[in-house]
Amino acid sequence: MATSERPESRGLGDRIYDLVFHSVLWQSIFRSGYPNTPRNQMLAIATNVFLHLHPTRIHRTHVKITHTFCLGGLSFFLFIGLTITGVLLMFYYVPSVERAYQDLQNIQTNVRFGFLMRNMHRWMAHGMVLMVLLHMMRVFYTGAYKPPREFNWIVGVVLLVLTLLLSFTGYLLPWDELSLWAITVGTNMVGSAPILGPPQQFVLIGGFEVGPAALVRFYTLHVIGFPLLAATFMTVHFWRIRRDGGLARPL
Amino acid sequence: MATDAATAASAAVRGRARRQREEELLVWPDLVFIEFISALVFTLMFVLLSIAINSPLQDRANPANTPNPSKAPWYFLNLQELLLHMNPALAGVIVPTVALIAIGAIPYYDNSHEGQGEWLSTPGAGRLVKLGAFVGTFGSIALILWDAAKHVQVYQLIFGKGSWPASLNWFKSARDFQAWLDTSAYSPIPEGLRRIPLGDYLLRTDLLGLTEKPIDLTVNIPGLIVEQIIPVTLMVGLPILLSVFAWRIGWAKTRRDHMILQFSGFLAVYFLLTIVGTAFRGRGMELYWPWDNPPVIT
Ligand code: HEM
Repeated sequence: MATSERPESRGLGDRIYDLVFHSVLWQSIFRSGYPNTPRNQMLAIATNVFLHLHPTRIHRTHVKITHTFCLGGLSFFLFIGLTITGVLLMFYYVPSVERAYQDLQNIQTNVRFGFLMRNMHRWMAHGMVLMVLLHMMRVFYTGAYKPPREFNWIVGVVLLVLTLLLSFTGYLLPWDELSLWAITVGTNMVGSAPILGPPQQFVLIGGFEVGPAALVRFYTLHVIGFPLLAATFMTVHFWRIRRDGGLARPL
Repeated sequence: MATDAATAASAAVRGRARRQREEELLVWPDLVFIEFISALVFTLMFVLLSIAINSPLQDRANPANTPNPSKAPWYFLNLQELLLHMNPALAGVIVPTVALIAIGAIPYYDNSHEGQGEWLSTPGAGRLVKLGAFVGTFGSIALILWDAAKHVQVYQLIFGKGSWPASLNWFKSARDFQAWLDTSAYSPIPEGLRRIPLGDYLLRTDLLGLTEKPIDLTVNIPGLIVEQIIPVTLMVGLPILLSVFAWRIGWAKTRRDHMILQFSGFLAVYFLLTIVGTAFRGRGMELYWPWDNPPVIT
């Protein structure tokens, strides 16, 4: 690269700059200098495993907020937020009929920031369902599902279902009146399927009614099964956005 | 001639590539910055929301006492609303499955490239959204009010309490229509055809550790008509009618037009049913205004 990254005159600031951004440590971590030149800016994206989800350049119109309203990104962000708050809640929660409700009360009253974590987890869960629905609407009304993005639209539909299932399995965990009956009503719908309904319902809740077995099943699906599936499908979703040539654009 | 066209085309392509480069921004900082800010704003919003509003925690679950009404989480209340009007298997399983498959199939039906990558950019897209949303919203409201026999109440408001012509009993609501088909002397279904026995069927549920229970296959014809045939006819027929209408008046010409119309109608019905199920259903899943919805009995 011909352009020098080093400033001409060397004051204190420049020395610090050198010390930090040209240090062995920095370069061993980031491989490129501070992202203040186009080259380093592209390298910052391309050499970082997380930022590498992005292309290094992007079309002007896609950066406009009103094109995507960031809805897909916010769905993903809420997923991350839910994972973090969820892990913190897991420290204090045991999925047994004897303890679950008591643990919830404990989280709300005895755990420092416990109530805040529970609230964040719950509101983000509602928020995520809403964001994903809105994201789907934005993709539809911008005609972004059209070829070559048909399959990514299907991956999206799977993600929508997974989001609903994540939220639904979490609904049972507080083991209060609201959760028990909401899950009873919901799983009864499964049971009403023609012929195969009752056995399916039996497998889903591990018995004839929502009880200890259902709690363990829902907990396991909620904290590991569905999150893994959702993360997998999100990986495919993001990969496909890149493969399909970035976001849709008028031809 | 051929070479000329090819040269011109390749020049155009090269020109386009150059133009596109100029239209492009670097992801760092232009996109990463927006993502960072929106993540920050959202975190802050959720922290503030969580400080302001606590999530509900009711009494410990008690399987022995069923609250009235018992409701699913809000995003399933649209299905629970459907459940009030038709066969449970239809409302709870078949309709959502078919709806998801239909949504997934949209790009394979509407596979043109027009209107891609811009908000509602095909001509007349805006009015199709409005038409779909209008018909979806008011169509569902009308059907829900009809099935709650609200037109009977209006009639009685005009002609006095308890009045309703007996010859119109079948028109009160879906359940009344079913009862009329089943028991009325005027029912068009001959008595012998109201139940068609097909015997029992044994499903090997013992393999799952369930007790085997023979499934009764008797067909209840009035039930089949009211709970399945009529709802399916309405759910399939009304959208088709809407599309035909929009096509006849010249609003919907392409597949994209029809998809915009149908999807907007679907969204309107979806949100309306969710709202009705959440805010307007009270005790016994009857209709109430949200402000005089009686408290839940537990
Ligand atoms: C957990 C759920 C989901 C996450 C985290 C997610 C994430 C994203 C992100 C980050 C983008 C980039 C553009 C943007 O932000 O709008 C995107 C694009 C896209 N999403 Fe999703 N999405 C989800 C669900 C869905 C659903 C439900 C659908 C549709 C049924 C869908 C279909 C698409 C399509 C077709 C694109 C490409 C859009 C374009 O080319 O303009 N996604 N998604």
